[in-house]
Amino acid sequence: MVTRRGFLKGGGLALLGVGLMGGIPAFMAEAAASDKIFRPYKRKKVLVCIFQRGAMDGLMAVTPFTDTYLQSARPGLSLSAAKSGNGNPLIDLDGRWGLHPGMKAFEPLFRDGRLGIVHGIGSPNNTRSHFDAQDYMESGTPFNKGTASGWLNRAVGLLGHDAVTPFTAVSLTSALPRSFYGDHPSVAISNLQDFAIELKSNPAAANTAARSFEDLYDQTSSGLLQQTGKESFEAMKMLQAADVRHYRPANGAIYPTSPLGNSLRQIAQLIKMDVGLEVAFTESNGWDTHFNQGTDNGIFARNVTDLSNSIAAFWTDLDASQDDVTLMTMTEFGRTVHQNGTGGTDHGRGSCNFILGKDIAGGKVHGQVAALATENLEDGRDLPVTTDFRSVFSAVADGHLQIANDKVLFPDWVGAKAPVMKG
Amino acid sequence: MNPIPPGRVSKCPASNMKTVFKILGIVLVLLGGHLLLSSFMAGMLPMHALDGARLSLPSLDGTRIPPYRFPFRQAGLTDRQAAAHLLSRFTYGASPGQVDAVVTMGLENWWAQQLAADLPDDSLSQCLSQYDALQLTNQRVADLYPKPGQVARMAIRDGVIDKDSVKTDRKEYREFIRSYMQEKGLKPEQDLFRQFFCQKVLRAAYSHNQLQEVMTDFWFNHFNVSITKNDCAGFIPAYERDVIRPNALGRFGDLLVKTAKSPAMLYYLDNFSSSAPLPGGQEMGGDTTLMAKVQQARKNRGLNENYAREVMELHTLGVDGGYTQQDVTQAARVLTGWTVYPMNDAGKGLLTRFSEDQLASRGFVHEGDFLFNANRHDKGEKIVLGHTFPAGGGYDEGVTLLGMLAHHPSTARFIARKLAVRFVSDDPPQTLINKMTKTFLEKDGDIRQVLITMVSAPEFWSATAVREKTKSPFELAIGAVRSLHGVIEQPYPLYNWVSKMGEKKYYYQAPTGFPDKGSYWINTGSLLNRMNFGLALATGRIPGVRIDLVALNNGHEPEDAQAALVIFSKIMLPERNLDATIKRLTPMLNDPNLAQKVDAASVRTEDGGGMGAGRNGADGGQSGTAGIQPDNDMAMVAANDGRAAQLGQVVGIIIGSPEFQRR
Repeated sequence: MVTRRGFLKGGGLALLGVGLMGGIPAFMAEAAASDKIFRPYKRKKVLVCIFQRGAMDGLMAVTPFTDTYLQSARPGLSLSAAKSGNGNPLIDLDGRWGLHPGMKAFEPLFRDGRLGIVHGIGSPNNTRSHFDAQDYMESGTPFNKGTASGWLNRAVGLLGHDAVTPFTAVSLTSALPRSFYGDHPSVAISNLQDFAIELKSNPAAANTAARSFEDLYDQTSSGLLQQTGKESFEAMKMLQAADVRHYRPANGAIYPTSPLGNSLRQIAQLIKMDVGLEVAFTESNGWDTHFNQGTDNGIFARNVTDLSNSIAAFWTDLDASQDDVTLMTMTEFGRTVHQNGTGGTDHGRGSCNFILGKDIAGGKVHGQVAALATENLEDGRDLPVTTDFRSVFSAVADGHLQIANDKVLFPDWVGAKAPVMKG
Repeated sequence: MNPIPPGRVSKCPASNMKTVFKILGIVLVLLGGHLLLSSFMAGMLPMHALDGARLSLPSLDGTRIPPYRFPFRQAGLTDRQAAAHLLSRFTYGASPGQVDAVVTMGLENWWAQQLAADLPDDSLSQCLSQYDALQLTNQRVADLYPKPGQVARMAIRDGVIDKDSVKTDRKEYREFIRSYMQEKGLKPEQDLFRQFFCQKVLRAAYSHNQLQEVMTDFWFNHFNVSITKNDCAGFIPAYERDVIRPNALGRFGDLLVKTAKSPAMLYYLDNFSSSAPLPGGQEMGGDTTLMAKVQQARKNRGLNENYAREVMELHTLGVDGGYTQQDVTQAARVLTGWTVYPMNDAGKGLLTRFSEDQLASRGFVHEGDFLFNANRHDKGEKIVLGHTFPAGGGYDEGVTLLGMLAHHPSTARFIARKLAVRFVSDDPPQTLINKMTKTFLEKDGDIRQVLITMVSAPEFWSATAVREKTKSPFELAIGAVRSLHGVIEQPYPLYNWVSKMGEKKYYYQAPTGFPDKGSYWINTGSLLNRMNFGLALATGRIPGVRIDLVALNNGHEPEDAQAALVIFSKIMLPERNLDATIKRLTPMLNDPNLAQKVDAASVRTEDGGGMGAGRNGADGGQSGTAGIQPDNDMAMVAANDGRAAQLGQVVGIIIGSPEFQRR
C-alpha cells in the first residue's frame, strides 16, 4: 500500500539542492539547516516503546520489600530498603515498593509524578516460551500465532491521517520487529547515519551516483518505486540537513554508550528534528537471568542501570519536547518468585513495566500484587498476572495518541483500560 | 580437527565457471559463433540433454505430461523477450548470455529441464562439501550444538565451573565457555546457522536447477519456521534440506505431511507439546507426593491449537477457507501425540524400555525424528470439516486429516493464488488462478503440473505481468551477482547485505512468512540500501565477492560512461528498453569536471591500487584463488583507476536503478 504523503507533495525541502551526500561542506549544511522548513502538518504526539527481551525479573526491579515470603523464597537475591551492611539499599518508593538501586535515575521522575509503574502485568496466555510470549505481546493477540500484523503497526493505521513523512513509524533495530509487521508504513533503521548514498572514500562519485539515482527514480514508470524513491531522497536530505553525525544532546544529557542509549539518542534526534515521528520502537537485551543475576551488583544491576540511565538521558535531552512524548517499556513475562539453583530465576508470569510521560498517572505503582505466599502464586511458583498487557497498552495508545479503536488495536480483547493515564 | 572458518570457501563453482567462460570466450572468438557459448552458459550441461524428448516428462503418477507450447508470441513477445521473462521469474536472475542460450535450446526445453531438476551440480556440491555441518542429522545437531544455557549447566555438572562464577556478560567467562566447548567437541549454534546461510546464497547463485531453488524458497516461506524460535532453530537446516527441497516440485500433500512431522515445524508451532489432557479428579486420595507428581504431569499436558489453526489458515485452506474455531479445536485433538522423538537419553525415558515392535503394537509410530506418542493422543471421537473420526483412530486419523486438507478446493485456490502472486504479479488475474486451481485438483496437487498450467496460460505472458514483480532483497543481491558472473568466495557478507535490505532470511518471526509483494520490500528504509548495495558490489566493496567488469566486456574497457551504460545495461538487463535511461544519465555521468573529481578521489583512496574498482572485491589478503589477479603495474593501475572507478559507479547505478529492481 502506498500512502500519499502530504509533506512530500508540498515540496518539503525543495530549497535544499540535490546531492548533498557524503562529505557535505559544513557551511552548506548550516545554511540548509537554517532554512525554514515548510511543515504542512501539526506537530504530533510520539509514543516510544522499548521491548526488554529475555523477560525482566519484575520482582527485583521493583521489589515488594516488606514481603517476607519473597525474602525467604530468595535468600540470595533479596535487597533491603534499609541502609545496612555493604550493599546499596532499595529506593523506598512508598513504604511497600522499592526501586532497584541501579535505577536511581528513575527516582526523581517517579517523585515528579512523570513515571508510572504497573506491577503484575503480563499476558493471559501462560506460555513460558520467550518466543511465543514475545510474539503474542507484539502481535497483540495472545492466542493467535497467525496474526499477520503487529500492534504498533495497527496503531499507525489508527492515527487518523496518512503517514506524513517516511519517519512516521521508526524502529531503531536492524530488522523490522514483529510489533511493526503490517501494511502501514514503518521502517527499521539501525543507524540514522546510514541514511545516505555511500561510496566509501569517494564522495564525488557518491554525489553523482545519488543524483543519478534520484533522477532515475523520479522518471520510472513504476508508481511504487517512484514514490518511495522520492520519499527516500527527501528523508535523506532531512537527515543530512540536520547533520545527525554531530548531534549534541540538550541539557548536558549523557547517554550510556550502550545499544539502548544509542537508539534512544537517535529517537530523540528524530523527535527534535520534527520530521513527523509518531511511533518509535527499540529494544534492550539480556534480561534472561537464569544464572547469578546478582543483587545490587551483577548482570541484573547493570541491565537496570543501563535501562534507567538511557531513559533518563533521553528524557533530559528531550527538553521542551517532553510534553509530546510518552515512553513505555514491556517485557514478555516475569520470573519465578523462588531463586533457582544457579543464583538466578527461571521463566515466570507477571512482571512490571515503566511508563514515562506528562499525561501518565505517575508516581504510583499500579496493579494488584498479593502477598507472595505459595497459595497466591500462579502454579504455586509465579507472580500471577493481574493486569492484561493490552489494558495498559491500549490505555497508553488511546490516551496519548488518541487512538480509540481497541477492536482493531487488540482484536479478541474485551476488558477495561488500566488507569495509568491522568484524567 | 580444525573447523572450516564459516563463510569461507576456497573454491567455488563460479571460479570454475569463470575459467571455463574465459576459455570459451577464446573459442568463441575463434569460431566467431555465439551459440556454443550461450547454450553452455544456459545450464552448463552437455548438448545431448537438450533433445526434444524432454518436452514431455513423466508426471508424478507415471503418465507422460502432454507437450505444451508457451503462448508468448500471441502476447506480442519475441523469443528473446519471452526467454528474459521466463528467466526473470524462475531463476535468481539471468547470467550473461543466458537469454540467448534459452532461445537456442527452446523455452519449453529449458523449462522441462528445470521441472525435472536433475541437472548435475557437481561443482556446487563440491563447493558446499567444504561446509561440515550441512549434512548433519537433527540428532547430530542436537548433540553438537547446545543452546547457550545448556553449556553452562553441563560445565557446572562436570565441575569445571562453579555455579557462582557464571557471568554471561563477562568476556573472560565467554572465553572460558568457548574453550570448554572446544574441549567437549561442541560448537556454537551460530556456526551452524552461518554455514546454512552460506549454502543458501551459493545454491541460489550457482545451482543449475534454479527452479528447484526458487521453489524451495517459495515453500519454505509458505511453511515458514524461524530461527528466532530457539526450540526449532537447530532443526531448520535439515527441514529445508530433507523436507522442503526434495519435495519442492513434487506433490503438495507430501509437503504438508512431511512438514507436519518435522521437528522444526513441530517445535515452531508447538504441536510437539499438544496432548490429550489427563483426566482431572480426586482419584489420588491422600497421597500428596503422587498428587504433586500428577499435578506436574498435568501441567505438562494439554491441547495446543497453534499448529492446527495455522495448518488451516496458512498452509492449506486460507483464512476464508471455510473452517470454524470448532474445526480448529477438533483438528488439534486429531493431531495430539504428533511429536518429536526424544534426542537425549533423559527424554527417551520410557521409550527405551520397549522394543520398536512393542511400541508399534501399542499404536506408537517412530519414523526418524518423528514420534506418534499414542499415550498422548486423544482417543475420543472428533469431527473436522464435517468428517467424523471415530474414537480410537490413532496416528492414521492425522494422516487422513492432512490428506483432506491437501485436497480441499479451498486449498487448491489458496495455493494457486499464492503461486500466481509469486510468479505472475502481486495481483494476478482470477482467470489464471481458476485454471491453476483446476489443475491442482485434477492432478492431485502435482506442483509441476500447476506450474505448467501457469506458464502455458496467456496471462503469464501478458503485458500486465512482464516486469511487474519487484525483486526481493535476496533476489536483487543474487541476481546482481549472477548478472555479473560474480565469484562468491565468502557468502556471508552477501547474506548480511540482504538482511540490511530488509530480508533477514530464516528469521521472519511469524508463520505467515515474508509478505510477497512489492510494497513490502520497497520502503524508504530499504531503498537507499539497495542503491548502496549496487554501488558496493560494483566497486568491489563487498568482501568475498569478486567481479571483473572488464572481462565481462571481453577484456575491453568501455571508452566512456555512456559506452559503459550501453554495454552493461545490455548485459545485465537483457531485453529491457533503456534508451530513455541512458539518455538521461549520460550528461550527468559525462560531466568532465565530475570525471576529474572521481578520478582524483579514487586515486586518493586509502587502499590505493588495491581498489581497482570493479576489478577485485576480495578483502585484503583473502584472495589468492583462481580468477583474475589484480594488475601489478601500479602506475598503470593509478592511470586506469579513474576510468575503473567510473565503470564500477556506472554498473552500481544500473544495479540500484528502478529498472533493476523489477523482474
